[in-house]
Amino acid sequence: MTDQEKIEKLKARLGEKILDIANPAVRRVFLTVVPADVGAAAEVLKTDIGTEHLSTISGVDLGEAFEVIYHFGDSNGNVNVRTRIPRADPRLPSLCPVIPGAILYERELQEMFGIVVVDIPDPRRLLTSDDWPAENYPLRKDWKFERPEEKIPGGKR
Amino acid sequence: MKFQIPIGPQHPALKEPISLRMTIDGEVIRDADIRLGYNHRGVEKLAEERTYIQNIYLTERICGICSHSHALVFTQGAERLLEVEPPKRGIYLRHLVAELERVHSHLLWLGVAGHEAGFDTFFMYTWRDREVVMDLLEMISGNRVHYAINTLGGVRRDVDEALRKKILEGIEVLKKRSLFYLNVGATEPTFVGRLAGVGKLSKERALALCAVGPTLRASDIPNDVRKDDPFAFYDEAPFDVSTADTCDVLGRTVVRIKEVLESYKICEFILKNLPPGPVAVKAPRRPKPNEVVSRYEAPRGENIHYIKSNGTDKPERLKVRAPTLGNYAATVEMLRDGFVADIPLIFAAIDPCICCAERTVELRNARTGEERVVRFSELRRMAEERFRRLPPQRNVPWPF
Repeated sequence: MTDQEKIEKLKARLGEKILDIANPAVRRVFLTVVPADVGAAAEVLKTDIGTEHLSTISGVDLGEAFEVIYHFGDSNGNVNVRTRIPRADPRLPSLCPVIPGAILYERELQEMFGIVVVDIPDPRRLLTSDDWPAENYPLRKDWKFERPEEKIPGGKR
Repeated sequence: MKFQIPIGPQHPALKEPISLRMTIDGEVIRDADIRLGYNHRGVEKLAEERTYIQNIYLTERICGICSHSHALVFTQGAERLLEVEPPKRGIYLRHLVAELERVHSHLLWLGVAGHEAGFDTFFMYTWRDREVVMDLLEMISGNRVHYAINTLGGVRRDVDEALRKKILEGIEVLKKRSLFYLNVGATEPTFVGRLAGVGKLSKERALALCAVGPTLRASDIPNDVRKDDPFAFYDEAPFDVSTADTCDVLGRTVVRIKEVLESYKICEFILKNLPPGPVAVKAPRRPKPNEVVSRYEAPRGENIHYIKSNGTDKPERLKVRAPTLGNYAATVEMLRDGFVADIPLIFAAIDPCICCAERTVELRNARTGEERVVRFSELRRMAEERFRRLPPQRNVPWPF
C-alpha cells in the first residue's frame, strides 16, 4: 500500500478525529490525534491497513506538554501516531487492549516521563532500581543527574 | 503446589545480568516474569548532551555485538536531518560492514544454540569459523568489535583492491562452512530433536506481542526491514527474506542459517559492484529543527531510532528501541508451559542482548494468584521478628 492510499484510508475511516496528517518522507506517515483517539487509530491501522506491529513509543518533553509518538511499522512501511498531553495532567489511555505488545513501552513511559497510563495491565516499576526516589523522571528535561555523595562504610571521616 | 524460582540476575546460564522469575509447577513453567535494569546506563539522556558526531560513538556502544547496527541507524537518521547524501561507495561499504556483522552475530548465536542444546562440537566449529569474519572486519575497520567506521556523510575507511579480493576469499570459505552447518542442522537427529517443539510462539501471538527479527520470521511472518523499508541500497541488492513455519527454536535456527547465506549474497553483490569515487562527503554540524524515524534490520530484528533536532548541534531527543526489548513480551509467552530445562535454550533463541535492551527498560507479566515476591530485606525482617517472639532454645545439638 502506498503512502497516499494509506492517508486516504485513514482519512476515510477516522474523519474528524485526525488533527493533522503529514507525509514528510517516503514510507513515513505522521498522524496527529487527541490522546483518546490513539486506540481508534491503532484499530484502523490494524484492521484496514494491516499494520499491527508497534515498534515503540517515544516520549518527548516539550516543556508545557509531552508529545507521545507511537511508531507502527511492518511491510507496509511506517506510520507514526502522534499525540500531546499537558504536563500538568499527564494522563494517557492504555493501548494494551488493541496491541498487547505495547505494555513494555507504556511502562517505560510511566517511569521515564511520569506519564500516567490509565488502565495499564501491569503498572509495576520497570527499569529503575527498587530504591529509586519517587517523583524522579529521568527523561524530563528539568531532571539533572546529581551524583550522591559517596559514603565509604568505615572509611575516613 | 507452585513455587517461584529466581534465575539471575547473576546465573551461569545467562551471559548478561537479567532476572527471570519463574513460577513452576513441578518441572513445568506456569508463568514467567522478567525484571531488567541491572545494566541500565541512561544512554538516551546522555545523547541529549552530546553532538551528533559524538553520538555516533555513543550509540555504537549501546551493544557489543550489533554495535554497527546502532551506529548505522543513528547515522542514517542524522544524515537525513542534516540533509546530506553520502556517496554511493560510502553506502556500499557501510552496508558491507553491516552484513558482515550479521554473519558474525548469527555464527555466534549458532554456537550458543549448539552449546545450550548440549552440542558443544557445533559451538567450537562455529566459533572457530566466526574468526574468519572477525578477521575480515578487523581488516576493513581496524577493530574487532566497535568498528567505528560510520561518520556523518559516509564511512571513515576505504577498501582497496587487495582487501576486496581477500574479503571475497573469506566469504567463499564462510559459505562452504555455513552450508556444512545447514547440513548438520538438518541431518543430526539429536540436535533437531532437542530443538524441535521447544518454545512455541504462534503466528498470531508473535504479531500481537510485537516480536521482531528471526523470532518473528520463524513464526512465518516475512517482516524484514531491509525488504519492507528498503533504505540506502537494499532495493538493488539481491536477497530473499528467510522464514520458517515451525514456530519453535528449530525454526529460529533455520532462519538464522538461511539469513547468513543471504548475507553472503549481499556481500558478494557489494564487492562485485563497488562503485568508484569518494567514501564520504563533508556534512554540516547543525540540522534544522526536524524529526526522523530511522529503521534498520539488525541481526536480532528491527532497530528503530527516533531523532528530534532543535537547530543546535545536539539532538533534542534520541529514542532507541533495541530489538531484544521487542522480543521480551514474546519470550514470556514462549517460556510458559515449557520445561525448566528449556529455559536457557528458549531464552537464548531470541538472541538476547541485554545491554542493548537496557539503555532503558524492562517488562511485565500480569501477576495472578497469591504468590508473593519477598525481598531479602523483608525476609530478614520476618526472620528477626520470629526470633524475637520465640524464646532462645538451649542445649541445641550441633548438627554434625
